[in-house]
Amino acid sequence: MSEELLIVKDLTTTFATASGPLTAVGDVSFNLHENETLGIVGESGSGKTVLSRTIMGLQPRTNVAVSGSVQLNGFEVVGASEDSKRSIWGTEVAMVFQDPMTSLNPVMRIGKQIDETLRVRLGMDKAAAKARALELLELVGIPSPEQRYRAYPGHLSGGMRQRVVIAIALACSPKLLMADEPTTGLDVTIQAQILNLLDRLKTQMNMSVVLVTHDLGVVATRTSRIIVMYAGRVVETGSTREVFKHHRMPYTRALLESSPKIANQSHTRLQTIPGRPPNLLNLTQGCAFAPRCAYATQRCHQERPELEPSSETGHSFACWNPLPATTSEGASFS
Amino acid sequence: MLLAIVFVVSVGSFYLIHLLPGDPAVVILGTGDNPHNRAVLYKELGLNKPIWDQYFIWMKNIVRGNFGTSFISQTSVASTIRAALPIDVELIVLSQILAFAAAIPAAMRSARHPDGPLDRLLGATSFTLLSIPPFIIIVLLVLFIAIKLQIPHTGPSSYVSLASDWVGNLESLALPAFTLAIASFVVYYRVLRSDLIATLQEEFITLARSKGLSSRRIMWRHAFRPSSVALLGTAAVNIGGLLAGGFVVQYLLAIPGLGYTLIAAIAQSDYLLVQGIVLVVSVGVIAINFLFDFFINLIDPRISRE
Amino acid sequence: MSEALDEFTLMDRPEKNDPLGVLFWICLGWLGLNIFGAVFANLLPLPDPNFGNYSAINASPGLHHLLGTDDLGRDIFSRIVFGSRVSLAVGAGAMIIGFGIGAPLGMLAAYRRGRFDAILTALMYVLLAFPAIIATIAVLSFWTPRALLKIIIVIGLASVPVVYRVIRTATMNIATKDYVIAARIQGATDRRILFKELLPNVAPIGVSFLLIGVATVVILEGALAFLGLSVNPPTPSWGNMINESRTVMAQNPWLVIFPSLAMCLLLLCLNFIGDRLRSHFDVTEVKL
Repeated sequence: MSEELLIVKDLTTTFATASGPLTAVGDVSFNLHENETLGIVGESGSGKTVLSRTIMGLQPRTNVAVSGSVQLNGFEVVGASEDSKRSIWGTEVAMVFQDPMTSLNPVMRIGKQIDETLRVRLGMDKAAAKARALELLELVGIPSPEQRYRAYPGHLSGGMRQRVVIAIALACSPKLLMADEPTTGLDVTIQAQILNLLDRLKTQMNMSVVLVTHDLGVVATRTSRIIVMYAGRVVETGSTREVFKHHRMPYTRALLESSPKIANQSHTRLQTIPGRPPNLLNLTQGCAFAPRCAYATQRCHQERPELEPSSETGHSFACWNPLPATTSEGASFS
Repeated sequence: MLLAIVFVVSVGSFYLIHLLPGDPAVVILGTGDNPHNRAVLYKELGLNKPIWDQYFIWMKNIVRGNFGTSFISQTSVASTIRAALPIDVELIVLSQILAFAAAIPAAMRSARHPDGPLDRLLGATSFTLLSIPPFIIIVLLVLFIAIKLQIPHTGPSSYVSLASDWVGNLESLALPAFTLAIASFVVYYRVLRSDLIATLQEEFITLARSKGLSSRRIMWRHAFRPSSVALLGTAAVNIGGLLAGGFVVQYLLAIPGLGYTLIAAIAQSDYLLVQGIVLVVSVGVIAINFLFDFFINLIDPRISRE
Repeated sequence: MSEALDEFTLMDRPEKNDPLGVLFWICLGWLGLNIFGAVFANLLPLPDPNFGNYSAINASPGLHHLLGTDDLGRDIFSRIVFGSRVSLAVGAGAMIIGFGIGAPLGMLAAYRRGRFDAILTALMYVLLAFPAIIATIAVLSFWTPRALLKIIIVIGLASVPVVYRVIRTATMNIATKDYVIAARIQGATDRRILFKELLPNVAPIGVSFLLIGVATVVILEGALAFLGLSVNPPTPSWGNMINESRTVMAQNPWLVIFPSLAMCLLLLCLNFIGDRLRSHFDVTEVKL
């Protein structure tokens, strides 16, 4: 049994907004082992991005309250001071952001942006840092790194920019990589490249990865376990295979069904989930998905279901009226 | 573009003399008006030729550095200007150094702790100061000094030139520089603070944070540069605006810079001198604007690409 | 992080504009009072501002003279009220000219683009580069004899390029927004678009800038007074009063304080109102 790299317990993030407190993340708990890839899946507004930032301690400093516990290699992130968090940022955990155009400093050359991490965090001198930066650029698959080193982010294509972001994240060899929708803004053809790159690097550098995305196709083959989020809470979690084949929570089913599949006939109608994402300022007391759920019962509207491990299958879900245990057709993404 | 502007400015300056009612020669000569002088002047400036010719004659002289000789003070306009100009330059440089040295750290601090006690205090103070014109500040200060400290407000210049005694020089310029610095500080602080706050919300700042960089480094290396564009733009405009305020301040404190000289010239109806100063100051301001534009391009290469 | 929060702003959130606040209305009231005083000065029960009561020179504020008298025995309060006429006339007049010319041109140029815009904007930028203050000082010092109207005209014209640029930029930001393009595609006439889409959106910025412009012009008038370029004495103007007071400052501090106070309060109110309006209507501004 490999070491637990990351232990998250009852993590809750609340924003103080002008319209009242907004609970973006509610009571999230999970563990992450070394060398494991965990997927966090949900629509826009599910709280997945806030979750990934909170895990790292990267949430804004004002108007945010975090409770619960996040243990990263023994280091408690929740409640830690900005100074102490800085000691793990980059070296223990790093993040790859969604849009490389906005996450890279537009007026600083990319070489310098990589150098900076190496010199400030690892104390390298100028020459050593440049050499290592070039190595990193090669590692992430950027051709002619010498030339690109002096380029500004605006001169590079989207895919290359994202590779630079990955290079920066990996510079100090962190144990945990948070990838927040790393391919969402990129061309479909580039998406696969970047994801494959991440896979490769993960093995090469002995890291664990948390992959946050709304795209089920992405998690299907690249993660060993997934968490499905809705309205800031975990509604289903387990090994990827289990969840795909034996999901119980209707939201998960709806999510799976709404993804277009190559195998479908052309002109197959796109399935959508009726209704709108919930207003997090005004959550009902019952299950957050109930208003949109085809199987909702009275109890669903009144009481919020807790995440319970299922006896029949090997995973956990939160639902009063789950789908039957044996589902012959799992979703497949080939 | 620059040429077009300078051209317009020169035409404008030239035409000023002709705005005056009556014969320009009479005006220029002032008390030295008599048929002999008038004849000389007519010949020199070609006053009986069509207006375009007059302009060219005037331009030719200007380019050669000949701004004419004031009939009122009997000294060449160019030399008067040359004596007064360095004082203005020094005053501007001093006040801007003070203003930036105060505004930049203050804005950074406020941007890092928005709505904190310092931010609120500076916000209210700067807003109030915005509404107090520099000349009122000076007048009130002088009033305060005169009454409280019983020092009579007298005429003779207290200005000490740089060449003779640099300590005395700084002392004599301290008050005007400080007053002008206040006005500049207020504007710079507000602009920079607002820009920094906007920049700090950007994603690349979060990435810099996630690298484990210190707040100071993030502020200076990542946030400041993109935010300084607006600041420089404001500085360019502000320095131009410093002129009016600067003139009055000089006049009130008897500092013999261009402003003081200009006011005296107007009072004495020394129109040649006025014309010369207007031209020099205008060109100076334009040059400063272009210089700042150049620096802005240096800082943010995106602007030149657009 | 704001991106993360963006996910939540898609949902219903009560539309909350920055509240105007009590202070705003107080300032508006003060401004109104000033305007009222300026317009109806003649009808108010004030002593003649130019009448020098030689038996009451440099009197301190009291019953007979609310704010005291100056060194010629003239009532300060009355002079301030009459002086406000100059300040407000210059401020309002100059802005009317500046906006009257600059704003329509700016809006048209921003909307039409093309050759009209290119030429006009180039011209304006050339004029802009010429420091307006110098131009104002220069023209006013040469264009004698002094007159209030001349001052208003000169300052007004000098402000046209600035107004033009601000209004043009503001209009461009709006004209490129999708809903304006949509209106165009739907076949709305130019006139309709100008009045229904552009004007209401540019107006808040315009008004706020106008107020700040008035404040700037008032300051300019004050500065001009020191240079001797404002209205001729004995016509009271705040700038003149402050300037004249310098010689007798030690004996009669009120002569400096009251006009200064009057000017600063008005400026404060104008700036505050302009600022509040701007933040109230600007929904894109970063709020913390």
